[in-house]
Amino acid sequence: MRYLLLSLLMVLNLPLGSLAGYREEFEREFLSKPWAGDQVEEDACIACHVAEKMDPRFKNIPQSWKMSIHYQHNVSCHDCHGGDPKDAEMAMSRQRGFVGTPKYAEVPEFCGKCHVGILKNYLESGHGKALKSTGKGPNCVTCHGSHKEDQYVKKASIEIINERLCSKCHSYERAKIMKQALFLTEKKMGELEEGFSRLKAEGVYIEEEEKGLFNIQAEFRTLFHTVDVSLVKERTDEFEKKLEPIDTKVKNTFSELRFRRNFSAFILLLFAGMGIVVFILSKPPKE
Amino acid sequence: MGVGGKIRDWFDVRIGLGDFVNVQFREFRVPRNSNVFHTLGLVTVVAYMIQVITGILLLVYYIPHPDFAFKSVQEIMGSVSFGWLLRQVHVVGSSLMVVVVFLHMASVFFMGGYRKPREMTWVVGGLMFLITLVFCLSGYLLPWTQLSYWATTVVTSIPTAFPYIGDFISKVLRGGEYVTGITLGRFFALHVSILPPLFLFLMLLHIFFVKRTGLSTPPFGLSAEQQSPWTEYRRETHPYGYPFYPDFVKKEVFMGMLYLTMMFFFITFFPTLFLPEEANTPADPLRTPSQIRPEWYFLVPYQLLKLIPNKFIGITLLILLVVVFLLWPFLDTKKEPNILKRPVLKTVFFLILVMLAVLTLWGSYR
Repeated sequence: MRYLLLSLLMVLNLPLGSLAGYREEFEREFLSKPWAGDQVEEDACIACHVAEKMDPRFKNIPQSWKMSIHYQHNVSCHDCHGGDPKDAEMAMSRQRGFVGTPKYAEVPEFCGKCHVGILKNYLESGHGKALKSTGKGPNCVTCHGSHKEDQYVKKASIEIINERLCSKCHSYERAKIMKQALFLTEKKMGELEEGFSRLKAEGVYIEEEEKGLFNIQAEFRTLFHTVDVSLVKERTDEFEKKLEPIDTKVKNTFSELRFRRNFSAFILLLFAGMGIVVFILSKPPKE
Repeated sequence: MGVGGKIRDWFDVRIGLGDFVNVQFREFRVPRNSNVFHTLGLVTVVAYMIQVITGILLLVYYIPHPDFAFKSVQEIMGSVSFGWLLRQVHVVGSSLMVVVVFLHMASVFFMGGYRKPREMTWVVGGLMFLITLVFCLSGYLLPWTQLSYWATTVVTSIPTAFPYIGDFISKVLRGGEYVTGITLGRFFALHVSILPPLFLFLMLLHIFFVKRTGLSTPPFGLSAEQQSPWTEYRRETHPYGYPFYPDFVKKEVFMGMLYLTMMFFFITFFPTLFLPEEANTPADPLRTPSQIRPEWYFLVPYQLLKLIPNKFIGITLLILLVVVFLLWPFLDTKKEPNILKRPVLKTVFFLILVMLAVLTLWGSYR
């Protein structure tokens, strides 16, 4: 039996060297497919846009998308541009809902399919009115970026309001006052986000709180799109109050984590101490 | 006479407790040259009991359904009083148990404890090691996280390497084409109602064999008793050894404390070592993580399969290695029991240990 098994082992080992050339195929077939399951989807949009034959102007789009806030929130190409990412031939078919790239003046409606509240406030604002009347006012991508050239769609933050960007169209003074009005609430929300990251790293599940903050952020930033400083100032207290329970929860969770660490450290010392006592009390075996 | 003495007497009169303790523990002697590795068997029993107790308590709150499993585990971690401690002890305990069982087997191998007449003890021990791994695999899916979902997808796809029956085995494990709620139900049943009694039965059988043959003497400085050929049943009584109780038990208690100290060391200083961020993300069958990797104890077969260019050969080789490992006492017919005097076996033993360490590290970093 021993010789049989050893022979089998040797027989099985022999072909290994000769099969070395199949490494590449093996990695493709085995490591990416069955290990990951059959549900791995090949995205036709990305496959085409990274291909050699793609127009260099559009080649950077997948890379830019991967850096965007949309990627972080699982918003894919077809979510905005329509089409069928599972079918390369029909990916850009109008029958499959492909809408392509919007014209400059159509960008707000394009983004507003998802950002409904923001679209409404934007259209009522000076920015929206300017675009509607002249066709040249700022649209969403003016401030938030797109996949054009080296841009990417940035996460909405107070940093978007800056002199370089705003003074492209008008003086920075009014924007600065708006930034100051937003500052404290934005700072608080930033701190909470940082707290979430730390809690997640500590293994705490905080999806509910994250959703809560996300909704408050969205509402607050919707308000900003009115570009109405007095309205922002008026409602800041309301947002502060909404953030309070989340803040309390984060603080309580941190103190709970501290308690857990101290408690388990106490048990650690208890067992270590008992171990030492047992060790000392253990008499050497009798001769 | 104190209360303790009275209770002891009460039992002694009825069931002869004193006699039982004398025969089973005081007269059961351990070899004089026994070492710390001899305690690992009982440490495994302690580890298993901890897993059983914490597992039963977790079972009170856990819901084995894809819609509720993740949430119920988060409830255990966040809302149930000291639920976090139960889960941490269970999670860290599972990994430590693998380490302890492995060390036990490696030390028994090194000290030649698998040799005649202990072949059956070795085989049963080996089966227990495999069951421990199946325990880990089945328990890993239960929290229904991204990490557990995809790691299970990885592991249950391994049998597909076999022609004809591979797909069938994989489907039986998963209960369909993919890892779904049916898989969760199957793994849950396996984890809480099939494996525990099976493990307990093998453990009792293992202890029975140990009791019948006596503890093996390390071959480093052999007694005359051991050198005589084993032609009929006899128990190694170690007349010059020392009693299991109380002398050896103290060593066992010390090792038990060391085990618990290690466990709480990890819980205190590395609470996320076995529960990284992906272990806190609910399973999403439509979103494949960029890095799919099984738990550390499966990194050896995982890395080995990645290195061997043919899936079928790789898995067949793995199965053969397991068979050789289990049946080793029947394959090793050399008379010399001291591994130090067998340069080939000694080299192979250390090479395997190095290989296991390298493959584990390699698998975890790439």
